[in-house]
Amino acid sequence: MTNKPSLARYRPTIQASAVIGVLIAALLIAAVTFGAQTMARLIVSGLMLGSIYMTVAVAFTLTIGVLNFLNFTIPTLFMLTGMVAWGLVAKGYVKFADGWAWLAALAVGVATAVVASLLVERFTFRYLKMKYGDATEHAIPLVSSLGFLLIFENLVLIFLGSESQRFAVPFNADIHIGGLVVGVPQIVSCALAIAIVATLSFILKNTRTGRALRTIGESPDTASLLGVEVDKVVPVVFILTGLLAGVAGALFTVNYGDVSPFMGDNVGTKAIAAMVLGGVGSIWGSIAGGFIIGVIETLSIYVFGGDSVQMVVWGLLLLIIIVRPQGLFATVSFAKAKM
Amino acid sequence: MSGYLSGVLAILCINLIFAYGIFVPAAAGQINLGGAGFQAIGAYGTAWLSSVAMWPVWITIPASMLVAGLIGFLLSFPVLRTRGVYMVLATFAFGEVVAGFLLRTEFFGGAIGMVVPAHVGLPVLACCAVSVILLTFYLMATRFGLLMRSVNDDEAVAVLMGVNVRAIQVAAFTIGGALAGLSGALYAHNFSFVEAQYFNSFLSIYVLLFVLIGGVQTVWGPLVGTSIFTLLPEVMRIGGSWRYVVFGAVIVLMMMLRPQGLVTRAMIERVSPRRLRLRRAVVGGSHGR
Amino acid sequence: MADKAALALKGVTKRFGGLTVADALSFEVPAGSRMALIGPNGAGKTTVFNLISGVFPLDSGTIMLDGTPLENMPPRLRVGAGLARSFQNIRLMPHLSVVENVMLGQHVLVKGFASLLSPLAWQRGSRWRQFAEASLRDAGIDVDPDSEVSILPYGVRKRIEVVRALMSRPRLLMLDEPAAGLNPRETAELSAFLKSIAQNGLTLLVVEHDMSFVHDLCDLTVVLNFGRMIYDGPTRAVQDNEEVRAAYLGRRRVLTRGTYPAA
Repeated sequence: MTNKPSLARYRPTIQASAVIGVLIAALLIAAVTFGAQTMARLIVSGLMLGSIYMTVAVAFTLTIGVLNFLNFTIPTLFMLTGMVAWGLVAKGYVKFADGWAWLAALAVGVATAVVASLLVERFTFRYLKMKYGDATEHAIPLVSSLGFLLIFENLVLIFLGSESQRFAVPFNADIHIGGLVVGVPQIVSCALAIAIVATLSFILKNTRTGRALRTIGESPDTASLLGVEVDKVVPVVFILTGLLAGVAGALFTVNYGDVSPFMGDNVGTKAIAAMVLGGVGSIWGSIAGGFIIGVIETLSIYVFGGDSVQMVVWGLLLLIIIVRPQGLFATVSFAKAKM
Repeated sequence: MSGYLSGVLAILCINLIFAYGIFVPAAAGQINLGGAGFQAIGAYGTAWLSSVAMWPVWITIPASMLVAGLIGFLLSFPVLRTRGVYMVLATFAFGEVVAGFLLRTEFFGGAIGMVVPAHVGLPVLACCAVSVILLTFYLMATRFGLLMRSVNDDEAVAVLMGVNVRAIQVAAFTIGGALAGLSGALYAHNFSFVEAQYFNSFLSIYVLLFVLIGGVQTVWGPLVGTSIFTLLPEVMRIGGSWRYVVFGAVIVLMMMLRPQGLVTRAMIERVSPRRLRLRRAVVGGSHGR
Repeated sequence: MADKAALALKGVTKRFGGLTVADALSFEVPAGSRMALIGPNGAGKTTVFNLISGVFPLDSGTIMLDGTPLENMPPRLRVGAGLARSFQNIRLMPHLSVVENVMLGQHVLVKGFASLLSPLAWQRGSRWRQFAEASLRDAGIDVDPDSEVSILPYGVRKRIEVVRALMSRPRLLMLDEPAAGLNPRETAELSAFLKSIAQNGLTLLVVEHDMSFVHDLCDLTVVLNFGRMIYDGPTRAVQDNEEVRAAYLGRRRVLTRGTYPAA
């Protein structure tokens, strides 16, 4: 009789709760040490930063969950949005002085990200012919995406230079909430990020396309047997990816005012950390992971200084890898033996 | 031999050993995108042993190789709970952890890096590279190599054939870590300086590309892939960033048209001397067996 | 009589979510016999093989191979216990050559670190390689042992899988649709080959749809329908059985808890 001991079924929940418990304890200790004011300020800016990480992490997780594809071009799409928007201003096509022109520049940036994403789809995924499966075949689109990363990043370096640039949005309004000063753009971007991800979640649950995506994620072969037009639905993933990465890039640009050809790399690795922390393949996991990483980053910069962020974030990640490599909220099961 | 040429060959030898450190686990179905982490362990381990403990080269190199292998062994247990893309992410995260740790820790020089007093020249590097390649050829030609390839091809069926898949995967991952560590140790002694910024995710990505584009089906693959990607940029005089655009385009095209890599098993079989003998026998009218 | 049975299932049950794919299955395969496992599509035949091999754990019940309980044994040790199988969709290793695939099947017999780490190529004249090549020839497979498996015809690949399974010198050989896709001549050859190897005390359990092949090869048959066993006895009496006829020809059934709805 092979009855698994009943405790084993609860192990994932116990592990996840333990990690979250540790994090909350750390937060409380920090709160007591710094005082509520500072703590609130740090947490708020951490959440702002986290909303950007979260959006990019969701893009990663969506592509992995549906297509089993680790898409390394996502940070590049993020960067393209900011750089293209800046490029339009720098080359004079858009004048900052003209009211909302900067918004148009960003919109073009986001559109560029979407187009680039569809290009990636056309030349990586379309060509994926699994002649005979072996354990390394999933790496084929991954390697392709690395190729595209090189292409996009270096084209930007060639045409837009390698310098970091300013993209200062011409308005700045602050709100005062109980002693806290929060910039309006930051609130807007946080709200926007959350809205987008919530919409995505809704789409996945309640629309036909969303269901089609989830079916493909479960089993691509069954999906086409069930009448899902895989070739029409897969591009949707790439469009969503482009939108998510692009909007995140736009929000980052507005909030921090700096763009550079390397802005994607840093955010990319943090977003991947957020995704791994939250659980690859889980949208809510990526959301949680993004906010956690954002807050941790702000706190560690305050406590330990700028250089420490790497250590703390990746140390947490190492812990996750050792204890629970599939992340806190992972829903994907690995041992699907199809005989 | 000019200084420039010996410099390029030194890098080639180091890259080859590194590439085979990625190849061995890949041949058993595990993609390691944290190779730079293991190379860093080897490099920093040897740097510290050499500059602080003042151990001689012929001890520091094996010692740091052992440490890297040991960490690979320990890491394999949690990492092997994942598969495919998830394993790529776990190993990628590991690489970032090592880089971040080294960058931050004053014990290892922090952002400034460490100087490595003892020097090792090209002859030693070449010897090691050739040995590693021969050893890998040997390994893949044994029953152990057969088991590795079967785990890569169809893990579920390998289990049902009685193969201890876990043990094979742990062994492959450990060997890979040790080889990557060796490449780091040799790098440290040849360049006489190590800094954490060098062991970043792009390094892990490049070495993985050498192996996947060369081809994981045969032991020739990483040799071809590494040689091309190390030597070609020296030959191509296209300016700076355009070089990488071309590189990227080549990668995309390769994955579209020849995802199995440049060197495949079928290719090797076709030119093997035994096959040519067979073909002649068949043409000659006999049964040929 | 349990010690006379090569394989004995008792109360084997497996559920996937709300679906019962094996419902208290109990039957015995006598040692040295050739038994067929048949049933309409979806009856759970391959699932039974998967449960015996250990691909999935049982929810309840026992499986005894020559008196040794299998249900808690890790799958990779079951070959060592005397079990071997082939697969419905051919599962040969695509990047291994014909002889390498077959030699993989020998794995459980190869003992010792030395044999693990000595080169296969030097063993061209070795007994392992000769054993593999001889077995291929005995099965009528007339191809270059070092050739790629993927380019070979379907029927040849099916037979290579059978040879691979035989390499571990099993006591029970489970074959999942060995005759599928074979033409009548190939089917007859396969039947003759299986009869000849079964003479040495090997027990056969065969999942098949081809009834003439079943009648020719197997004197005993078990019929499954919706995970339940509905017949266990001589092959020649199968088609006279009411319930078997109804299962194949269809009859309205009342939905009961957790079982498949009527086809």
